[in-house]
Amino acid sequence: MKLAGNDMLIKSLVDEGVEYLFGYPGGAALHIYDAIFNQKELQHILVRHEQGATHAADGYARATGKPGVVLVTSGPGATNAITGIATAFMDSIPMVVLSGQVASHLIGTDAFQETDMIGISRPIVKHSFSIESAEEIPKVIKEAFYIATSGRPGPVVIDIPKDTTAPDKLFEYSPPELVKIRSYNPPVEPDSEQIARAVSEILKAKKPVIYAGGGAINSNASKELFELNELLNFPVTNTLMGLGVYPAKNKRFMGMLGMHGTYQSNMAMHNADLIIAIGARFDDRITNTPDLFAPNAKIIHFDVDQSSVSKIIEANIAVFGQVKNSLIELNKQLKDKIDSIDSTLIQPWLDQIDEWTSLHGLNHELYKENSDEKKIIPQSVVQHVYQITDGNAFVTSDVGQHQMFAAQYYHFNEPRKWINSGGLGTMGFGLPAAMGVKLAFPKEEVVCITGEGSIQMCIQELSTCSQYDLPIKIININNEALGMVKQWQDMSYGGRHSESTYQSSLPNFIELVESYGHIGFKIEKNSDLRGILDEAFSIKDKLVFVDVYVDPDEHVYPMLVAPNGSLKDMWIDKDKKV
Amino acid sequence: MMQRKLLVILENKPGALARVVGLFHQRGYNIESLHVDPVKDVENYAEIENSLNLKLKENEVSRLLITTTVSDNLLRQILRQINKLIDVLIAKEEI
Ligand SMILES: Cc1ncc(C[n+]2csc(CCOP(=O)(O)OP(=O)(O)O)c2C)c(N)n1
Ligand SMILES: [Mg+2]
Repeated sequence: MKLAGNDMLIKSLVDEGVEYLFGYPGGAALHIYDAIFNQKELQHILVRHEQGATHAADGYARATGKPGVVLVTSGPGATNAITGIATAFMDSIPMVVLSGQVASHLIGTDAFQETDMIGISRPIVKHSFSIESAEEIPKVIKEAFYIATSGRPGPVVIDIPKDTTAPDKLFEYSPPELVKIRSYNPPVEPDSEQIARAVSEILKAKKPVIYAGGGAINSNASKELFELNELLNFPVTNTLMGLGVYPAKNKRFMGMLGMHGTYQSNMAMHNADLIIAIGARFDDRITNTPDLFAPNAKIIHFDVDQSSVSKIIEANIAVFGQVKNSLIELNKQLKDKIDSIDSTLIQPWLDQIDEWTSLHGLNHELYKENSDEKKIIPQSVVQHVYQITDGNAFVTSDVGQHQMFAAQYYHFNEPRKWINSGGLGTMGFGLPAAMGVKLAFPKEEVVCITGEGSIQMCIQELSTCSQYDLPIKIININNEALGMVKQWQDMSYGGRHSESTYQSSLPNFIELVESYGHIGFKIEKNSDLRGILDEAFSIKDKLVFVDVYVDPDEHVYPMLVAPNGSLKDMWIDKDKKV
Repeated sequence: MMQRKLLVILENKPGALARVVGLFHQRGYNIESLHVDPVKDVENYAEIENSLNLKLKENEVSRLLITTTVSDNLLRQILRQINKLIDVLIAKEEI
């Protein structure tokens, strides 16, 4: 079959199984856009800002496990996509970004809308390609998808000079059957001897903790993790990125760990004698001061990325490979030794953790407050949303206090339901990510728990939601401030709220969303909270925006004491440090 | 801290060198000297060919020699980071 470059590009995407292309047109991409017009196999979603395209593709990828695909034009189109590419990179999300480029003969001449996209994106991509001739388009697309989705996933940029997609030159369309890149061989199967060493440590442990992160979700290892803990009955904590990989309702689940992790998770990690890290990378939100981290623990680290192991905390046993495969092997070896598992060995440790939980665990009954004497507290909003959705919704979030409250109080029992920017912490992520999720799962409830600061960073996407009829729920936890910034200013800067409030400049969100054709509700009183939320969630065919005014003085706790603190050093209330 | 010499064999493709050099900057490692040329004497790389199970052709890959002063732990980390780059065939310490 003979095709022009632009048609080959679209055909290659369709052959990769791409359903949605999130993008925004412009000069350098116009040949490609013409090819989109002439086909029906994939749907293009026209966003309102290229950042929205990347986050929407990212949300789609996190929810489905399939790569998200983005198309932008050169110059400003490409630079607008950068924040979203960096967001996906930090969280190891598979994404392919096609960026238009000026024609080959103009490259390097400071041509109109020319920017060095390969150079700008280099530190925030897993890999990038620049198309040199139209013939190589099918091969490059295949390689890009392979790289984006294999090993430790990540974003791949393909820069496409305009002449390579010209409609007037035809080429034979013959994509390679199989991709093999000789310089790229990510580990897949674990070394069974390392697993045997891990087993012998596991059988001896008296104070073990399983610490699982986003890598376990990327590897689709939640079933294997669950099976592992049916054998071991060890306490489990998840990182912000790992929530849902182990069911929150399980009695061994301690909640999230780290900066705003639960008291029991942080105490258990600090006092452990064995930490089994599964697809987690010991970043600074988790370890607090690395030198003070878990002083008595041996570390077994399962990861697909060798450079993540012993980067911050030295591992005693490293198991490289797809985490799923490693856990399958671990479970097999453990089953062979099932008689050596002594469940009484860890009983005192489990009792200790229960004690920590009852001492300073989170209060999951804050929703009971219904007095209008008190302001609504943000945590209770999340608790109501959790109850109304039966814990089954996809929840996207932005960055700030509301994000932490969502992570602490919405309990995730399945992986891929909690969608947030953990690594980069990108405000503006929540709404476009929710669009990507809703397109992938139109029948599921998709809730964006956001703040009035974050939502305004990509609020233009409300227009995209009208165009494509995306009935998501937006819960705007409105504390009339950049709450997380204000919290740090309260705690470390003598309460000087430098540039973290907006005076009275916030928009009337209800009128704003209505002007896009959506429905808005405003809640200001505890006595209205549940009733209006119930009403909002009963609407199934429209986007609903609920603007909830909450107590602006509320802080997120626990909070690790920094700098120079360890995981056991936490603020557990405004005036209580442990 | 010791001065080390690193050997990196990478595909002779546009942008490949920039990725290695950029990585040093991104991760805060220092480059003291850098030498790069296309590999013509493939016969001297039999060991690498064997360990990677491939055959090299003349001028198909580049050789990068880098000196840097780092601790053992950081050296291991740098090598892992370089090896992770898609176009890199192998990165190791030259002893
Ligand atoms: C793009 C971007 N800019 C700045 C920050 C720093 N930052 C972190 S949280 C936060 C405040 C967020 O305010 P809001 O969305 O209202 O959430 P709240 O903390 O009030 O719940 C800011 C400014 C960020 N994470 N992302
Ligand atoms: Mg706010």
